[in-house]
Amino acid sequence: METMAEREEEPEVTVINDPACSIGIKTTWGFGNQLFLFAGKETDKLSDPEGATGFKGATHIYEVVRDTDMHDPITRKLVNESHNIFLNLQKFEPESAGASKKPQLVKFSRNYRCVIRSCLQDLMAAVETSIEPQVKQKYEAQLQLFDLTELVWSLCEILFVDTLPGGVIVIKLLDWLRWHFTDGERQAQDAMKEDVPEENENYWQSVWSFVLQGRIDDARKMLSVHRSYDTPAFQSIDELLRKMPIFTSFTGQSLAEFDMKWRHWRDECRRRLEENEYATNKNLNTICRILSGDDDVFIELRDVCASWYHMMVSKLLYQDPTVKIHDLQYHTQSCINAFGGNSQLQPSDNILLAAIEFDIPQVINLSSTYKSNWWFVAHLTDLLQHCGQLESRTLHFGSNLREYLILEYASSLMSHDSLWQIGINYLDHCPEYGRQYLGHYMDSLPLDTERKAQKALRICEQRNLQEQGHSICKVMGMRSLHNGRLGSALSWGLKSKDVTFVTFIAERFLDEYTENGGFSNVDLIDNLGSEMLLSNRLTFLGKYREFHKLYEDGDFIAAASLLLSLLSSRMAPRKFWLTLLTDALPLLERDQVVFNSQQTYELMHCLEELNLAQRYSDKPTRDMPDDPKAAKGQTELEKEKSELMKLALARNLARAIVEEGSEI
Amino acid sequence: MVSVMNTIDTGHEDMIHDAQMDYYGVKLATCSSDRSVKIFDVRNGQQTFVTALTGHEGPVWQLAWAHPMFGNLLASCSYDRKVIIWKETNGKWDKLHEHSNHDSSVNSVSWAPHEFGLMLACGSSDGSISVISTTGDGAWDYKKIPDAHTIGCNAVSWAPAINPGALLDQSGGSRQNVVKRFVSGGCDNIVKIWREQDERWVEEQKLEAHSDWVRDVAWAPSIGLPKSIIASCSQDCRVIIWSNDGTSNNWTSKVLHKFNDVVWHVSWSVTGNILAVSGGDNKVSLWKETLENQWVCVSDVNKGQGQLTEGQSSEQMS
Repeated sequence: METMAEREEEPEVTVINDPACSIGIKTTWGFGNQLFLFAGKETDKLSDPEGATGFKGATHIYEVVRDTDMHDPITRKLVNESHNIFLNLQKFEPESAGASKKPQLVKFSRNYRCVIRSCLQDLMAAVETSIEPQVKQKYEAQLQLFDLTELVWSLCEILFVDTLPGGVIVIKLLDWLRWHFTDGERQAQDAMKEDVPEENENYWQSVWSFVLQGRIDDARKMLSVHRSYDTPAFQSIDELLRKMPIFTSFTGQSLAEFDMKWRHWRDECRRRLEENEYATNKNLNTICRILSGDDDVFIELRDVCASWYHMMVSKLLYQDPTVKIHDLQYHTQSCINAFGGNSQLQPSDNILLAAIEFDIPQVINLSSTYKSNWWFVAHLTDLLQHCGQLESRTLHFGSNLREYLILEYASSLMSHDSLWQIGINYLDHCPEYGRQYLGHYMDSLPLDTERKAQKALRICEQRNLQEQGHSICKVMGMRSLHNGRLGSALSWGLKSKDVTFVTFIAERFLDEYTENGGFSNVDLIDNLGSEMLLSNRLTFLGKYREFHKLYEDGDFIAAASLLLSLLSSRMAPRKFWLTLLTDALPLLERDQVVFNSQQTYELMHCLEELNLAQRYSDKPTRDMPDDPKAAKGQTELEKEKSELMKLALARNLARAIVEEGSEI
Repeated sequence: MVSVMNTIDTGHEDMIHDAQMDYYGVKLATCSSDRSVKIFDVRNGQQTFVTALTGHEGPVWQLAWAHPMFGNLLASCSYDRKVIIWKETNGKWDKLHEHSNHDSSVNSVSWAPHEFGLMLACGSSDGSISVISTTGDGAWDYKKIPDAHTIGCNAVSWAPAINPGALLDQSGGSRQNVVKRFVSGGCDNIVKIWREQDERWVEEQKLEAHSDWVRDVAWAPSIGLPKSIIASCSQDCRVIIWSNDGTSNNWTSKVLHKFNDVVWHVSWSVTGNILAVSGGDNKVSLWKETLENQWVCVSDVNKGQGQLTEGQSSEQMS
């Protein structure tokens, strides 16, 4: 396509001013649209490694980001606000098919434009308040871009969204002009401030401008302050202006009726012109020539019109006010010629021209190449698709234009610290590739804070991206573990229901207890609830901690029976048995009998099993240091403990039997 | 629009060969002809020097961060024939493993997708490629592909861990039993695709179109199309896009562009929608496929002429 070739010739150019880069530039990707650039070159790595040495100056790395237009605080507001409109538009379903749809869609379009206008106002304020020339320049460029955006958007709204049944369009086009051509208004204000307004050099320019924009009341107001207002010539023009018929769809007037009235009025204008009623005042004569629709006068007032499309709308107002929407395209060429012909057309002119020619794909195509304004094309295309103005054919890349542009826009948000979350909501509305893109972004999202990781995980959970969710939990869990934060590691493991990891962390908690005789993160373990059941080891950890609580609370009977059940159910890992039996010691030696005879037998059974296992295994049961001497010392300590246990158990058994016997 | 956000002074004493951001987006690793690897904390636009890793005895060519689920692991390769895997524990960086089984400069390192565990491919000037892996018990194993590229291998890049044919399955369960593949480029002007089969690496494809050394290869991330895409660049000044439709073994080639000078690097953005190309013409250009199936340059970053141009901030002079 022609436009693509044009773009190929002129890609945007960014310049890195580092003399070191004259040896070459290398680049690597960061996240999203982030790139790192640095001076560098390749040599024959084998035979000429020296070719890559001796560059002392080449030590800087440049972080560059593509498509950052939307990352500025002002445009960020636009991103946020338009995001809400976009989401509502995706939810929008007309209650009944057909007619009721349009007013709603017009409302969506106006909402978007509202957001653009408020952004324009913010940008204007920023241009005025910024002191640094570079910042000022940046805002000026954005101001220009969004001014054009509004211009194209509002034209598209008139042509494609808010279409009138009769197809009469001039009144709407006049509204469109007024917003974007404000020179006349400003000149009028300046003139009105003077003691004698007509002495202001721009007095007549502003009057003509009002007339050309169809602002008849304003034009009359300007004339009324003229010192000669009472003369016949002024009164005559005022009468013509006052009587000018304006077509609106609200008056209930039929088109034919209006047309008749208008022709009558224009004939009157032409008559007065021919009779030289304004020979005394050439400025008034110019007004009358405009009203009569004289071709030449528009060319003479070229500068007041300022653009071909302004001229076109003004001409139509006085030559063919009932022109139909689809006939607009036949009126463009003469006006373009008045402004120097097609060769003088700017990219923005071509966009408007394409819109007037009802070539929507071309409007979008040209707009997307113009300063890669993804925000604009993505939202406009989406709106037009909802209006049924775009055929949704599948393109070469595998989906339709709407999705292609939304993917681009979403991608441009992904490299921003906070806007990435908005980008994700846009990806949700890309049925073909949204999910794949999302997967890639979630896979490589920088998880620099715990909070961001939580957010990312929630996003994955809501969208059932299991793999990415698991990966986030694993990454965060490993990081917590490396930083010695066992509690945090455990909660990340629980979030992804990662049995192996949770078991591993539970082991670490038990190790910690064996080493220090206490638990960290007691709150977390106490409040595990049903999550405890994820892993046997975790269940044991939770129950064991419960035993400690019961013991601390003085509920020795419950504590004892829990301890026993941990042992007899074989839930406790073998290596932990001795610790558990040792925990039983103080219970056995209480004044009151805590374990009954049956329970004591079971404890004895466990101790015996442990001793047997130890005897038959060459390996020590506990985590043994490699040093055999130390290992031996440890075993002896264990033996001693075991002897103590035996004694305590035997004593307890005797007491229990006696007590049980006396109960009978 | 491309904007320069930050400038990082690495303090390297010689030419930088690679700069890689970690997965968290907080650490930037750089390597240089000065034989060192440096790590910077680059949070919030601030840069703080963290550490310099010394151990290589020649220019360090390339770096690769492992997936963070394996901890903070960084691989580096050098002219000194070694590949070193560095690990951070409690803020301290140490050598975790040293792989010195190449007979010549190691030019490229690349970690496999995390689904395959810790697995690193290394391409060397001795013509071979080695694939190092560990099961996590501290022992490292390697498999070597001898004579992968005569005169030398310049670059390696892994295929995504998604079976291009099984993409419509969105349950995520399709990553099991995915064939491990990577692409390599070498001084024999050839691009080769390797596949793991019965615990061995076999040559699956030989892609011939370049007329001089292949400098870099990059396998594009999959975005759900049932096709694979590889970019390669060469001393012959061309960048070639290779594609496979996912149903046959045929790869078609298309010249992206013939540049004015040697092309050194090609790399894909996260979603594979943009290809960054850099080379001897002192330019980095970004390429994108249009809706009409044409590749177009969307952005250029050039070296400056020594003076500031409009819209450039002065900090770039520092």
